[in-house]
Amino acid sequence: MRARSDNRMLASLTAQAIAIAVVLIASAAAIVTGQMAPGAPGQPPSSAGLVIKGKAPVSNDVLKVTLPKPQKADLPNGLHLMVLEDRRLPRIAFQIIVPGAGGYYDPPAMIGLSSYTAQMMREGTTTKSSQQISQELETMSANVTVGSGTSGTFASVSGGALTESFPRLFELSADVLLNPSFPADEWDRLKVRTRTGLIQQRTQPGFLSAERFAKVIFGDHPAGRVSPTPETLDAITRDAMVEFHRTRFVPDHALIAFAGDISLAEARKLVEGKLAAWKKAGAAKPTTTQPPVPGPPKVYLVARPNSVQTSLAVGMQSMVRTDPDYVPLTVANRVLGGTMGRLFRHLREEKGYTYGIGSGFSATDFRGQWQASTQVRTEVTEPALNDLLAEIAEMRDKAVPEKELMDAKRAIVAGFALSLENPNQVLNYYVQNWLYGLPADYWDTYPAKISAVTAAQAQAAAAKYWDASKIQIVAVGDAGKITDILKKKGTLEVYDADGKAVK
Amino acid sequence: MTVALRRIAVLGIVAALGLAAAPVKKIQFTDTKLKNGLRVIISEDHAAPVFAVAVNYNVGSRDERKGRTGFAHLFEHMMFKGSANVGPGEHPHLIFANGGSMNGTTNKDRTLYFEILPANQLDLALFLEADRMRSLDITAANLDNQRNAVQEERRLRVDNQPYGHTFELIDELAFENYAYKHSVIGSMADLSAATVDDVASFFKTYYAPNNAVLSIVGDVDTKVTLEKVRKHFESIPSQPPPAAVDITEPPQKEERRRTVEDGLARLTRLDMVYKTPPSSSPDDDALRVLGTVLSSGRSSRFFENIVRQKQLASNVSAFGGQSRGPNLFSIVGTVNPGKSVAELEAAIEAEIERVKAGPIEEWEIEKARNNARNQLVNSLGSALDRAVTLGQDALFYNDPGRINTRAERIAKVTAADVQRVATQYLVKTGRTVVITVPKAAPAKGEL
Repeated sequence: MRARSDNRMLASLTAQAIAIAVVLIASAAAIVTGQMAPGAPGQPPSSAGLVIKGKAPVSNDVLKVTLPKPQKADLPNGLHLMVLEDRRLPRIAFQIIVPGAGGYYDPPAMIGLSSYTAQMMREGTTTKSSQQISQELETMSANVTVGSGTSGTFASVSGGALTESFPRLFELSADVLLNPSFPADEWDRLKVRTRTGLIQQRTQPGFLSAERFAKVIFGDHPAGRVSPTPETLDAITRDAMVEFHRTRFVPDHALIAFAGDISLAEARKLVEGKLAAWKKAGAAKPTTTQPPVPGPPKVYLVARPNSVQTSLAVGMQSMVRTDPDYVPLTVANRVLGGTMGRLFRHLREEKGYTYGIGSGFSATDFRGQWQASTQVRTEVTEPALNDLLAEIAEMRDKAVPEKELMDAKRAIVAGFALSLENPNQVLNYYVQNWLYGLPADYWDTYPAKISAVTAAQAQAAAAKYWDASKIQIVAVGDAGKITDILKKKGTLEVYDADGKAVK
Repeated sequence: MTVALRRIAVLGIVAALGLAAAPVKKIQFTDTKLKNGLRVIISEDHAAPVFAVAVNYNVGSRDERKGRTGFAHLFEHMMFKGSANVGPGEHPHLIFANGGSMNGTTNKDRTLYFEILPANQLDLALFLEADRMRSLDITAANLDNQRNAVQEERRLRVDNQPYGHTFELIDELAFENYAYKHSVIGSMADLSAATVDDVASFFKTYYAPNNAVLSIVGDVDTKVTLEKVRKHFESIPSQPPPAAVDITEPPQKEERRRTVEDGLARLTRLDMVYKTPPSSSPDDDALRVLGTVLSSGRSSRFFENIVRQKQLASNVSAFGGQSRGPNLFSIVGTVNPGKSVAELEAAIEAEIERVKAGPIEEWEIEKARNNARNQLVNSLGSALDRAVTLGQDALFYNDPGRINTRAERIAKVTAADVQRVATQYLVKTGRTVVITVPKAAPAKGEL
């Protein structure tokens, strides 16, 4: 059984013509094999959240992991092709990424234009109705999604199916991409469904927090767009969608990627056959600008009547994806707000303020955001916010103890290694290279880069990106109970759950 | 090469038969009972250097006594707070520090713990699971702390969510059986009342090896793994089996209906649930296909006719539950602004009657068949999925290999079967209807 599986994997690797299977963790051996010792010097202070007895058997073996490489080709229409062949299961997934077709490029009065153009592409083509497309796809248990975020720079067409259905799935996807008909009656229907969604999302504290936070951090820059409004929805016309599709869904700077039971030659044949009509448009490479620096830190309250919890979010702008600080901030963030990080251990496991807490950051062509967030019962809003800010301050003010730092780095590297077992995840790493122009060996050296981060570098990243003079605070909850608490933290602005300022 | 040729040949045959299904390989496993009653299922898969461990304990909220609702789930949290050789939080810390992931989850019928790790950490996973099965650290401080976390979880998922209370109300109204009537998360008062003694006796009764199934799937050697399992687990003493849960539910004679106000909702929601038999019933497969016909995807009847054509709701879903006891087939829709809940209810009822009367198209049945097959292939891509399913099917149905027959069972369901179960179970006298309406909003400018 074992031998047979291994042979199959080997066969697929050979077919992929992978030059060398890279042993990733060799450079990170010290981390992966780090031994747990009870009361080891440098251990974070024992707390209710984490006590290490050090008796459980941890393997010291070096974890050997291979980083599969996609095969690539550039096609005459500008399309870049990537294929990660993996024959283990009879299924194939694909994604087409079209830069310049994201919500970033929506006119301000028509926020949502790219998103609805993408959704409408699935609502009928010159030869098929919305229902015909749905029925055919779902009968073979396949799917196609055309999607675009309200602030992202690209739109995507993606889908997957079992191998035997994939050629037909791809043919349907090509039709959706190239020949959408934007039927007026379907647009009316989509608007009705969308309006219901626009109302429903205002009941969710998570949405209200994200909306206010993005506005505070990015202002009117496209990065601050979280959702269309009923007004921008009304402004979007069928003509505008047709034009957006015609001018922006072009192959000049686009990517098509496949993962699964397919070779480069097979993928190329499919693309050249089914997407032959996708011609180069001569479009300029889409560009972006950096968001403006936000104003001085303030406290923002979104009043959500009948709330029994306060949703807290604190944060600021981060960096671009290629910034060398990305790696040390990844490590610092893991220590603070990663799985079982300080925020979890102290605010949940010690204090019992919350069920969930964490932090994370985004980075793209333009500066993204860093945010720590949690939901706490209304009564503990003040101590929870104080503790959250104190934990961030501790990261700025003190170097992370060596053992805690090593554990964080080891968790990142080992988690990365395990993620390589999923072909779609591996492909996503290479998609990031392509999107943001990361060096070709970025992921080969990623474990080594993480391993090399020192306590001083992590602290420097914390001090730079979690600067107290820049941290904005957003709270969603019961205004009657938390307004006075929030006023203690700075100048307060209050909004209602419809996003309107309250005097 | 031969593999590919064989696949194509098979496809040719099934195409001639008018079917779309190429065979998917069967999942092989061993099924062993240790001396102390622990059932151990091991399934080798060397496609990737990882493995998953699942421990399904035969205890859920259905085992809770009156006055202790929410206790099974509260207890689950205690399982991460340390044991004789593992400190509080050390278990998750070690799993994540080694690149893995883990969690625990509780429902009415079982409590499940799982982890995924690189292949070289099998000893670690077995040590951690065995240590807490043997020697959980039960302290008042741990209990108080996790009680807080669970009460926050309740606020997050129920009290601070639109329709959160609706979710609880449905089971309270629909079931007369106490075990299935109360929610898994439990009441705030009962959570506050739980004591350290409760934790200790619950642990002794339900967390015994003879009340659990351990399943291991992935890049492991069966013989070696079983030896390791024996070493770690076999000396944990067994306990007298817990009392059997009463799963009887008297037949429902008339419709139950309630309208409730929700201070967090902005739109009216309709919930209609119908009594169905336990998932072990032979009718379960046909009920699943019924759910597919009614609401799976945009080609489904509910989406096409109610959402897309009549535009009464933004979405209407229909699904059969999985339950070892009395069960529900649920239909949920949110009413679009400007439409009435009565219109939505009438439209749903019309679709139900149309299913009963037939015809059901061949493609609607084929969709269900292909969904089942697709699900099986996806399960083959996930060691965790298989570990959980093998263990759960052993616990619920005494049939760990059930995963291998699911696609075949679904493929056997006919249009007539779907019409029959719709006619038998989707009846007004057996249903409970809850309508949730937004509570009048405060006046403008008021917060």
